[in-house]
Amino acid sequence: MKLEIIHSDKQNASFVLSGASPAYVNTLRRLVINKVPAMAIEEVTFEENGSALYDEILSHRLGLLPLHTDLKSYNLPSKCKCKGAGCARCQVKMTINKTGPCIVYAESIKSKDPEITPVYPKMPLVKLFEGQILKAEMTAQLGEGKDHIKFSPGIVFFQGYPQFKIKESKDAKECVEVCPKKILKLDGKKLKVTDEAKCDLCMACVDACPEAIQVSGSNEDFIVTLESWGQLSAKQVLTTAMELFDEELDALEEEIKDIK
Amino acid sequence: MMVPIRCFSCGKPIGHLWEDYKARAAKGEDRKKIMDDLGLKRYCCRAQFLGHIDLIDDIGKFKKN
Repeated sequence: MKLEIIHSDKQNASFVLSGASPAYVNTLRRLVINKVPAMAIEEVTFEENGSALYDEILSHRLGLLPLHTDLKSYNLPSKCKCKGAGCARCQVKMTINKTGPCIVYAESIKSKDPEITPVYPKMPLVKLFEGQILKAEMTAQLGEGKDHIKFSPGIVFFQGYPQFKIKESKDAKECVEVCPKKILKLDGKKLKVTDEAKCDLCMACVDACPEAIQVSGSNEDFIVTLESWGQLSAKQVLTTAMELFDEELDALEEEIKDIK
Repeated sequence: MMVPIRCFSCGKPIGHLWEDYKARAAKGEDRKKIMDDLGLKRYCCRAQFLGHIDLIDDIGKFKKN
């Protein structure tokens, strides 16, 4: 298996993974979405909610806020020593206390742990008018995307690496015009692809002129795109996914031992 | 009502981009350009911005304290 990076920064990564199979890349995708833990607010107790939003809607909004996650200092409640009862190793208490008129932003949330704070401080939660008060206590914890999508650290998608079959044709010019990514060029009578990796297999060129070009996605090479929502860096997301995969395989190996 | 915290379809956090978008759109800037600048690539997230109306100013008036 070979990996070639197309683009990478703190939150995003896209790379070409060659010599893999769709099942393998999909395993990676599902691990990231379902299994890599991230912090999110799980419980909200309202002392006073004078805002125009119902408690349920506001607590849902609070839950969806991405929080900076520290995987080393926190455990999943199910794997914590306290057995899910709630302790400093698996929970963070947060409070919010605002009086209108103002727009309440995510930055007004005060966390007991300075490391666990909202990733985007300028997220509007609710607008308070004259005399309205918002007072609430929250509990944030680690969780997995399979339980609620708010715990998901990002999104991964992949496509087969585009493969082109090009033949000479009179109507090749139409393909060039119709391509939304503008990656086709006419070189004499023959089509040329300038940037293969940019093609998203929309097939517009094939519809325009099937004689000149045929496009298909590879079953061995893949363009994988990872977008982190900010709780963890793109690299952390991928390395954690791999560690979890290792753990799951080890657990399976342990089970298999009893088979004769 | 209030702008969604995340995109309904893909889950990308978008709430923090709204005020910037609103201010720039009010100045008459092309919405396509604003959304491209803000890094909204997928049409699910873009639809959230194009279709959103802030209703809390109207609804807030009817809230009894």
